[in-house]
Amino acid sequence: MSQAVRDAGPGGSTRELVCIACPIGCRLTVTLSASAEVTVTGNRCERGEAYGREEVLSPRRILTAVVPTDSAEFPCAPVRTDRAIRRERSGELLAELYRRKVNLPVRQGQVLMEDFDGARVLFTRTLPPDEVPAVG
Amino acid sequence: MITRSVDALVIGGGSAGLAAALELREGGATVAVVEREPFLGGILLQCIHSGFGLHEFGEDLTGPEYAERFIRPALAAGIEIYLDATVTEIGEIPAGGEGARTVIALSRGMGVIRFTARAVVLAMGCRERNRGNVAIAGTRPAGVFTAGLAQRLVNIEGYVPGKSAVIIGSGDIGLIMARRLTLVGCEVRAVVEIQSWPSGNARNIAQCLNDHSIPLHLGHVVTRIEGRDRVEAVRVAPLSPEGEAMSERELRIPCDTVLLSVGLIPENELSRAAGVPINEGTGGPWVDADYMTGARGIFACGNVLHVHDLVDFVTEEARLCAAQAAQFLAGSPAEASLRVTAGANVRSIVPNACVPGRQTVFTLRSLVVKNDARLIVRVGGQEVRARRLSHVQPSEMIRFVMKAGEITASAAGPASAAGPAPMAGSPSATGPAVEVSLR
Repeated sequence: MSQAVRDAGPGGSTRELVCIACPIGCRLTVTLSASAEVTVTGNRCERGEAYGREEVLSPRRILTAVVPTDSAEFPCAPVRTDRAIRRERSGELLAELYRRKVNLPVRQGQVLMEDFDGARVLFTRTLPPDEVPAVG
Repeated sequence: MITRSVDALVIGGGSAGLAAALELREGGATVAVVEREPFLGGILLQCIHSGFGLHEFGEDLTGPEYAERFIRPALAAGIEIYLDATVTEIGEIPAGGEGARTVIALSRGMGVIRFTARAVVLAMGCRERNRGNVAIAGTRPAGVFTAGLAQRLVNIEGYVPGKSAVIIGSGDIGLIMARRLTLVGCEVRAVVEIQSWPSGNARNIAQCLNDHSIPLHLGHVVTRIEGRDRVEAVRVAPLSPEGEAMSERELRIPCDTVLLSVGLIPENELSRAAGVPINEGTGGPWVDADYMTGARGIFACGNVLHVHDLVDFVTEEARLCAAQAAQFLAGSPAEASLRVTAGANVRSIVPNACVPGRQTVFTLRSLVVKNDARLIVRVGGQEVRARRLSHVQPSEMIRFVMKAGEITASAAGPASAAGPAPMAGSPSATGPAVEVSLR
């Protein structure tokens, strides 16, 4: 891992991170003290601070995947978690998604799973796509 | 043969084409969109990851979600949409005609369609550079894919291309696919980048490679792809300071799949055939302050004009382009403009002209990697704007806005703004100009 860990006082640590909250990619310095106090610097917005804090305590990610469908024309339905889930649980969610087979049609925003680690799993694409209006 | 007459014909139904078509339609024009795939949305549909829409919607959307934000209104807006249809030819403006062009499309369901349109918007996007473009030595086994093709196989068609992969090039699509392959059970053994810095953005290095402990070999070159029927291994060597592969330090990485993420090329065969002059710096058409190409009434926006990093800025550019196409359709004369040229350390800039009294969104690419760079705008040799940029590199597009009046025609000399600038970027263009450089 590229995340350097160095001494930040007795029992504490400092990590250099790249913020993934948006494509700017601020370089964050996150210090975790022995008393589990977290300080974040280098962030340009509040989301950066939240990311830095969460990343050292319990890293979370939005997970996206495709789920097999019953359709030959559109064999994959893309899905996402509507909020970040704990990284260590992503393998478990993927295994669950790959076991499923969904019946089309599905609409964007339709719920596939109500609760996985506090997140809903939603379809992200309407399949089959809505018909285009007839021309002429 | 079917014949159709519209004010504006948009070629391509992806992010650029949909935003342009909606903007034109809202302005009252009759609009047709021709899309070669059997559905709207373009390449966004295979980009199932999140990270889209932060600028446009203030939300973190996946590619299909971003696409549907434009598909739904497009279906309801009274736009004529032709799917499974490929434009084969953009005709010339007939002498003595009203200025309308003929555009020929071939449709799976409708046969030959002959459009007549007063404005044409090029929104065909780009395609990937492939093995032939980067000259990789070795055998020609199965298992070598461009990263975007692999993305389509995994996310749309439901195939996993192999069991173990090496990714050549560290562009964003390659990084996204490194994570994607890992999540579908294909082990990614390495990402190999010839430059000494990654092409993709830092966020993708963090969440796609570091999260999954995928090694990134910077300053390394692929010396050979091995394998008879199927890829068996990739040989990789570090580059010496002189840029030679150091064969004594060569690594052999066994794998059955190679993905190439080595750049994108605006897709302009149709434009070239129509006589649209192409800027070698971007690979896309030269455009004036109105996003009009060197061919009258033909506009361009999105990745066919120049390759973007973020779809949000494609949407912005498509709207700006379409707003000017609408002015053109309304018969508004082109406003006085100044040429815009790429100065020191700037590979290319878009657009290639600007109207002093109008806000202009410029996008440019650096030729150099530099921290604490300065972006300098000169008009007729005189500095009118300087801005500090904490970091520039060729793979990151730089966007900046010049507000109305920030560039004044008088700074460029009295005679320079008498009319529209000569065709932007053309060798015959002379006179004072706006020059954008990086220091």
